[in-house]
Amino acid sequence: MIRYRGWKQWLLVLAVLHGTIAAAGFLAPYDPTEQDREHPYLPPMKLHLVDSQGHFHFRPFFYALHPRDGSLDQFEESSGQVQPLGFLVSGRPYRLLGLVPSRLHLFGAQTSKIYLLGSDAYGRDQLSRILYGGQISLLAGLLGAGLTLCFGVLIGATAGYYGGWRDGLLMRLAELFVALPWLYLLLALRAFLPLSVRPVQAFFLIVLVIGAVGWARPARLVRGVVLSAKERDFVRAARGFGATDGYLLRRHILPETSSVILTQAAILVPQFVLAEMTLSFLGLGVPEPTPSWGSLLASLEQYSVLVSYWWMYLPALAIVPFFLGYLGLASALQQEISVEKIEGKTGGDVW
Amino acid sequence: MRYFLRRLIQAAFLLTGVSILTFLFSTLAPGNYFDEMRLNPQISPETVAALRAQYQLDQPLPLRYGRWVNSVLHGEMGFSFAYNSPVRPLLWTRARNTLLLTLSATLIAWALALPLGVLSAATRGRLPDRSLSWATAAALVIPDLVFALALLILAVRSGWFPTGGIVSVGFESLSPIQKFLDLASHMALPVLALVFSALPALLRHVRAAVREVLDAPFLRAAASHGIPRRILLYRYALRAAANPLISLFGFSIGALLSGSLLVEVVMSWPGLGPLLLESILARDLYVVIGGVLFSTIFLVAGNFLADIFIYWADPRIRTGKAAR
Amino acid sequence: MQPLLIVENLEKRYEGARRLGAKNKAPALRGVSFSISPQSTFALVGESGSGKSTLAYCIAGLERATSGNIKLDGNEITELDPKRLRVLRPQIQLVFQDPARSLNPRFSAVETVSEPLLVQGRMGKQEREDRARAVLSQVGIPQEKIPLRAEEFSGGQRQRLAIARALVLEPKLLILDEALSALDCSVQAQIANLLLELQSSLGLTYLFITHDLAMAGHLADEIAVMESGKIVEMGAAEKVLREPEQETTRRLIAATPRLDIAAGQPQGL
Repeated sequence: MIRYRGWKQWLLVLAVLHGTIAAAGFLAPYDPTEQDREHPYLPPMKLHLVDSQGHFHFRPFFYALHPRDGSLDQFEESSGQVQPLGFLVSGRPYRLLGLVPSRLHLFGAQTSKIYLLGSDAYGRDQLSRILYGGQISLLAGLLGAGLTLCFGVLIGATAGYYGGWRDGLLMRLAELFVALPWLYLLLALRAFLPLSVRPVQAFFLIVLVIGAVGWARPARLVRGVVLSAKERDFVRAARGFGATDGYLLRRHILPETSSVILTQAAILVPQFVLAEMTLSFLGLGVPEPTPSWGSLLASLEQYSVLVSYWWMYLPALAIVPFFLGYLGLASALQQEISVEKIEGKTGGDVW
Repeated sequence: MRYFLRRLIQAAFLLTGVSILTFLFSTLAPGNYFDEMRLNPQISPETVAALRAQYQLDQPLPLRYGRWVNSVLHGEMGFSFAYNSPVRPLLWTRARNTLLLTLSATLIAWALALPLGVLSAATRGRLPDRSLSWATAAALVIPDLVFALALLILAVRSGWFPTGGIVSVGFESLSPIQKFLDLASHMALPVLALVFSALPALLRHVRAAVREVLDAPFLRAAASHGIPRRILLYRYALRAAANPLISLFGFSIGALLSGSLLVEVVMSWPGLGPLLLESILARDLYVVIGGVLFSTIFLVAGNFLADIFIYWADPRIRTGKAAR
Repeated sequence: MQPLLIVENLEKRYEGARRLGAKNKAPALRGVSFSISPQSTFALVGESGSGKSTLAYCIAGLERATSGNIKLDGNEITELDPKRLRVLRPQIQLVFQDPARSLNPRFSAVETVSEPLLVQGRMGKQEREDRARAVLSQVGIPQEKIPLRAEEFSGGQRQRLAIARALVLEPKLLILDEALSALDCSVQAQIANLLLELQSSLGLTYLFITHDLAMAGHLADEIAVMESGKIVEMGAAEKVLREPEQETTRRLIAATPRLDIAAGQPQGL
């Protein structure tokens, strides 16, 4: 199924998905930390085009809510109060990509708040929280993967190129890390570092922890490529005219690892986003009130939430399209690489 | 024989290393169990100090480690501050529950992966293979956490399955059949979640391993001798593909431990997972070390089992000419 | 005239099973001695595993001999430290057998050929490129093909690139390790002729390694036959081919049918 689409298409899909999250400020109607204690656990609100009198409105609208008779926390629509949805409205200020200040939001409402995906225990808009939460989770995953790949390349290249005791030691270490349960390692590293830190510090701490756990597999793969590349005739030839180790690694050997690194990146990023989600879900991630996909799911630990407030599950689905995109990309890349090998383009042995 | 001895020594080293590291980590970590108490104005500092002395937290590190090793060799594993009970019985029940879960899930996952993988490899490119590939890909796209939570919601809203614990209240008074059913209904969802997380990758590996073997000349020769297809597939192909698959089994134990930790926490299954998490957060030192040690033993035992299988299945290793 | 290259009693042993096919117990080279006169072609013939490539690598400085001497122009080059080796290395260059593997397919023709200059750190970028272009035209690569990547060239053209790369440092000795064996027959002839031209125009000395006696007869002044790491027969080319003394030589001659037609005075290949 993944065969007929090249990696470029998957990259495009991923770009769109990431772009959506990056544009959280624009797409989200509200600030993710903005509370509304009077409207906790609201279910997702419906948008209508036709009102209760049968009139068609060009602008989609929603109904304001009022408490149901005899209840403090159950709400229902007030069919009289039509609230039109505005597009490209001015709302709370934010910074796009953390840099550009703006007040422009894709949509919003004037007097009442619109909770398209419902609200949580503190009345915070879930849609906004999911969008902003994605920024944290995705960024952690991307940075973590980048860190791990750096470690992996460094260690793999050293082991493969220099061989000897370095190779033996590093590869035994890698074997160990591959065998150990990743979640245990993750918990161990995170939990034994200071538990209550400020959000920014916590974020980088988590990136560091995630990155330190998964280096073993990329390192082994890179080592394999380096081992075979260093025996290639063109490397021998370059050594023949006096090239230094550094030159050989930089110009000839490491470029050969690019396909492995790219494929590993496509495989690792979603796993690391999941790792961040898991940490946050268990309470070891970025602390309140900063949202992250994992911490958004933490409320599901309570039985009452599970039973009555199904929309609190929605953040879990947010990661699925990303997994799909990355999986497709990885598959397509692997196909590309094996096709290249068969055509002899990688200049290696033709088998 | 020498092979196994070597593996045993490696295992012993690993266990020692892990226990030392965990001990070090836990004691060097900022905060300990009694910090919370210290913040409480109602408890006097002297009481805290006395408690600490009682649990020997103010002794030097190597001494405490030595004491702990000594107690382990005597069958004790220290004391839990949080639960106010010895560690070993605490761990034992939990470990048993985790084992129950993981063994069932492993058995079911492999019992499904082997025939389905063989089928997929044998019908390469045709409908069974394609639909299994699709299903696998779809399953891989859904992370374990997402699936487990979805199962939980299903359980809660449908009422078909209990949402936590290992047995219901009043378990003691049930008949054996009822006990079995009760346990099974509690296990169903966690096991399902674990199987879901393990099966796709497993299936892919089985398929890949069998495919490789199916292309081999010796198999075609056997086919030309008129050996029936089913026997070819299972007795010949699977046997030949056994080596990488058994190694896979050894590797997958680590992933299984991670998976079970998460599933247990999400589904409130009283296993090692939730206990470990709690005690790490509470800095309950001896429980953490005991729990990590148990898990390491599982890991080592699983790999050892895999080694035994390989030894039995692959005659090349027995004669020392193993192709690596 | 003083010989350009003198090899005395070269021995090479490998420890452990480092290379596939290397004999663990028997040494790869045993007591190898010969000399090459300037501007001549010396052919080293033998079957696979006879030690030819090992010898080539030792002379080129890619392997370290276990014992013995190698002298270039009277200078001892066997045991040099990396610094002095770097200075002297350019004088001996190697052309490998398979241009598909000896050239980095991602490099362009210019990059490939100018790499030795880059590594030696001698010239500026423009100088390197100019020199590379000059050498490329000497080996017959048309100007418009220069920006193409190595993988886009045909086998014969790639070998021209490899030769160009070997020539760019103005070496005195060129070691051709089965340099024609991977090429098609017609292309072999072209490249062989190119080599002969370059030898006369640039005053090069060749150490030509091959298993193909016919080729050796066509190109070489002197032939040495190797077996199991030793030289078993050595002498002027015509003499070795017409009056072989050793069984090994006879076997090799018998295995090369073209030689019957070309005995004594080989026609164009």
